[in-house]
Amino acid sequence: MAHHDHNEPAEPAHGNGDGELYGVLAEFDTPGELVEAARKVRDAGYTEFDCFSPFPVHGIDEAMGIKRTILPLLVFCGGFAGTVGGLLLQWWCNAYNWPWNISGKPAWSIPANVPIAFETTILLSVFTSFFGMWILNKLPQVWHPFFRLERFGRVTDDAFLLGIEAKDQRFDLARTTKLLQDAGALAVENCHLETDPSRKNMPKWITALIVSSTAFALIPFAVAAKARNSHSSQPHIHIFPDMDFQPKYKADTASDFFPDGRANRGEVPGTIARGNLAPDELFYRGREFPADRSQYNECKDLAADQPCWTRGFPQQIDVSKAFLERGQNRYNIYCSACHGHDGEGKGMIPQRMAELGGAWAARDLVTTQTVITMPNGQLFNTISNGFNTMAGYAAQIPPVDRWAIVLYVRALQRARNALTDDVPPAEQNNAASQQLKAPEPTK
Amino acid sequence: MSLTKSLAPDEKIKAGKLGTSLWKAGAGIAAVFLGISVILGSMQGDHWKRFLYAYVIGWTYIFTICLGALWLVMLHHIARGRWATAVRRIAEVVSCAFPIVFIAGLGFVIPLLAGYQDLYYWAHHDAHDPILNHHLHHKLSWLSPGFFSIRYAIYGVVLWLIARYFNNKSREQDESGDPKLSEQMRVASAPAMILFSIVTCMVAFDVLMSMAPKWYSTIYGVNFWGSAMVGGFAALALLILGIQRSGRLVHSITPEHYHDVGKWMFAFTFFWAYTAFSQFMLQWYGNMPEETVWYKYRLFGEWQWVSIAMLVGFWAFPFVFLMSRWTKRIVPSLVFFAVWQLVFHWLDLYWNVMPQYDWEIVTRGNVTLNAGPLMGNIAYHHVGFSPVDVTVWIGLVGVLLVGIGRNLKGNLIPTKDPTLPMSLSHEVM
Repeated sequence: MAHHDHNEPAEPAHGNGDGELYGVLAEFDTPGELVEAARKVRDAGYTEFDCFSPFPVHGIDEAMGIKRTILPLLVFCGGFAGTVGGLLLQWWCNAYNWPWNISGKPAWSIPANVPIAFETTILLSVFTSFFGMWILNKLPQVWHPFFRLERFGRVTDDAFLLGIEAKDQRFDLARTTKLLQDAGALAVENCHLETDPSRKNMPKWITALIVSSTAFALIPFAVAAKARNSHSSQPHIHIFPDMDFQPKYKADTASDFFPDGRANRGEVPGTIARGNLAPDELFYRGREFPADRSQYNECKDLAADQPCWTRGFPQQIDVSKAFLERGQNRYNIYCSACHGHDGEGKGMIPQRMAELGGAWAARDLVTTQTVITMPNGQLFNTISNGFNTMAGYAAQIPPVDRWAIVLYVRALQRARNALTDDVPPAEQNNAASQQLKAPEPTK
Repeated sequence: MSLTKSLAPDEKIKAGKLGTSLWKAGAGIAAVFLGISVILGSMQGDHWKRFLYAYVIGWTYIFTICLGALWLVMLHHIARGRWATAVRRIAEVVSCAFPIVFIAGLGFVIPLLAGYQDLYYWAHHDAHDPILNHHLHHKLSWLSPGFFSIRYAIYGVVLWLIARYFNNKSREQDESGDPKLSEQMRVASAPAMILFSIVTCMVAFDVLMSMAPKWYSTIYGVNFWGSAMVGGFAALALLILGIQRSGRLVHSITPEHYHDVGKWMFAFTFFWAYTAFSQFMLQWYGNMPEETVWYKYRLFGEWQWVSIAMLVGFWAFPFVFLMSRWTKRIVPSLVFFAVWQLVFHWLDLYWNVMPQYDWEIVTRGNVTLNAGPLMGNIAYHHVGFSPVDVTVWIGLVGVLLVGIGRNLKGNLIPTKDPTLPMSLSHEVM
């Protein structure tokens, strides 16, 4: 308990202002005595009084006869408004003002709205409790007549004070002072207001500061309002330039420096960008230059220096079960969305587009004759560079994996066009036992 | 005005015969209701499957109540709490029921060990079919009856040792009044809390979540813990009330303490909803079949009504009403919500376990296979309420009362705990 030796006797009023009496301020030694004094003052019928202490004192509100705050109720209302507001906001944005089909999901969906409604609930609850606390406590209070008293300065340190205002109906200087002294006050002080009107009002410099800072705070709004209502050919004001403006050209911009007027410069003839050397025609492009072209339908009449699509696989490729499984894995990631897990061209995207009334054709890889007879190299080329609306995948899939996909597509074709003789004899009569297989066909 | 109080001179702080009458009552309840359950279970005609499912729910129920009590004891020490000192001994007594609870759990562990296949699908021989269960295959080394039983024993021993440690130290302090014991318990409570969290999570994974072994959820243990704490604090409120009704601790435990127990119950009511929604939200949004299937047969078909009852009964209604200060301070009101939440905590466990009761049968060629739960066909999943669900639950609560009653002896309040005076004068501002 804060103990101090300010044991001066209760003394009568001494001048701190020469105007009318504002009230009296009494100091007590301990928080317990403050609570007891507050109870006595309340029991005596006073209403216009307050207690001041360095920390919250248990039971003081009950002793002073203060009703419980209505703040919790306000916070509840604020939070409820946050929930409803958050839901309305999402309904208005997503379902009413700008409905947008995202993967066919409902435009307005309660589960998706819960996190945001939760956040807005918390936001408005916190705002209500924070600002509600300030307003209900009449804060911020920049000035109070008690501030004039030197004793009051210790209220944030070790003073337990009780002040009674003169405007209270039961206030009588002598009797009130006696009451406080009987309650055990260490000292009772009178507090007078100033008579000098210039000292009663707020100092002029504070007024000036408030007016000027308010005006200053309005400038951004004025600038924004002007911008919204006028046209300008100037670029945006760039408050933080960071590294946005540099002495360099960006892609596809004009340049006066070069004769062709373009900032883009092509490759210097005879050079290859670092890492882009792909000398192996067969491995990187699926092409070869065979001497004997009798088996090469599409290029058997071309000259020997003209390339043909390869029929086999490059020598770097080890055609094995593991490689085939790699191909299945890559195929299911990159290709199945359109071509389907079985290669029939009925992946989720074409199915969904059909459902939505559009069209998205994907080539059936396993029954179309041109694909079945297409040389491996050409298949590799199609994966690399695309075909019709299909984009090339050279950027996403490294060459080895493209070859693995080629191998897997071959396996899909083989499986789709299998004959009964391809099935091991023991399984031949058991063709109906496939219904539990995973969606992928077996290898 | 004093900030501390001492025990009222006329306060009855000895348990006396209360414990004996409680465990005898509990034994009676357990004998009658478990007896009825055995008869009802055998009449189900499903080779005890319903009985054992209900048994797992009932066992988890009494387990979670002990869990809640132990958690309060540890939290109180770890945070150097003051308010709960007056009710801490009661929580210690509840947490010491762990040995009996784990012995009761042998009711479903022993059949599992003896080769019973219909309780947990992973114990079924068809779970090993590589085509049907390629999602399950890699989990079967963990989910095997032998290893499950070993883990079960470890969980029991760990929790029993933690509970025993705090109970013994606390009672030792009753004798010696040595404040160093408080410090020892505080230091021990941190590692104990870590162990407790791991065990709680693992029990949730092993006992409840493995009912649907092909499903995934990493927040499951947290969600289970939230529900467990609701049950734990609700049961604590009722137990305090019961002890006060017997004329003991009438001055020491005040509405301030009920208020704080109620606050915990309220907080965990929301926490449970928060984690339950977190689990649902990600799976709903991710929309991956192996995850959403768990919700599919809960949110459609017959189970959707139970799900709605959970949302309203376990969260919305108590959340809105327990928010107010007064519903927690007026003891009859708090008791109403404690009973309410104890019922819905059971329903939560029921909702977690029972939808897996129905297993699907599939055929491949001329082979018939048991595919277990989680194939996603709503038509297979019925609420199928049976009286045995409730009788087993009540019977096992009787077992818990035996566990509590056996430990309800000596002082009902830590008489020489240095924080007791502060707890007695506790005031919620």
